[in-house]
Amino acid sequence: MNKSAITTWVSLLILTVIAALLSNLDNKFVVFLIIGISAIKFLGISFQFMELKKAHSFWKGCVFLFIFIFITVLLIMI
Amino acid sequence: MNTSVIDHKNIYYPPGGILMWIIIYLELFTFGMALIAMVYYSKEEPEVFHNSRLLLNSTYGMINTIFLLTSGFFMAVTVHELKKNNKQKGQQYLLLTMLFGFFFLGLKSIEYYDKITAGLSMGHNTFFSFYWMLTLFHIIHVLVGLIILISVYFGIKKEKSTTEIEDVEAGATFWHMCDLIWLLLFPVIYLLF
Repeated sequence: MNKSAITTWVSLLILTVIAALLSNLDNKFVVFLIIGISAIKFLGISFQFMELKKAHSFWKGCVFLFIFIFITVLLIMI
Repeated sequence: MNTSVIDHKNIYYPPGGILMWIIIYLELFTFGMALIAMVYYSKEEPEVFHNSRLLLNSTYGMINTIFLLTSGFFMAVTVHELKKNNKQKGQQYLLLTMLFGFFFLGLKSIEYYDKITAGLSMGHNTFFSFYWMLTLFHIIHVLVGLIILISVYFGIKKEKSTTEIEDVEAGATFWHMCDLIWLLLFPVIYLLF
């Protein structure tokens, strides 16, 4: 079995549980952490599972650009 | 199965195909805009959104995330095995991929049933309008993804299979897109407000 896929999968599961636990805390900065964790998971899926790491830098850049714009707008609005 | 090597470094050949990636960006843009609209409306009714968010079962949301991530993992392994020409293992992992997809749908059905019986339908308030529209739109994608995976499964199962690795990669990319969309929906709908 693919070792890097297993590492990515376990890391994603751990991050999911951490995000869910953090949401129970009553702190303003928790929002930033939850969004940050989601961004890491998003990039993990894109680059490892979807094999974007093997793609042309244009496609990698588009994913980074999307997640950057989405998170920036979200955090400004929150 | 034809497992010819594709140069993914070429801008016209991203893994899964250029058309699939155009679809992915369009989908991400659509869901992203809807989620930003949801946050915008939450500023007008912060209490409604907070109280409504508390009515959701975040444990269901977390378990569903785990189901989709696990399904995505098995999908990645399926592609890896099929590229190595391990057809038997590839088929087994593809079945596991679909199984976790069905687990996701099963748990989502239970969650929907709970919400409907509690009277939290689409017209309940602004939060639940967004909740139903976004999650149902995502469910449609999961259903389409499962149909694609089933057709890929039967395609590679044939003795004289005409399914090529590009077809499997395109199906896998669509399936991973469902993960990506859910990774945007889960924190905003279940955890943020």
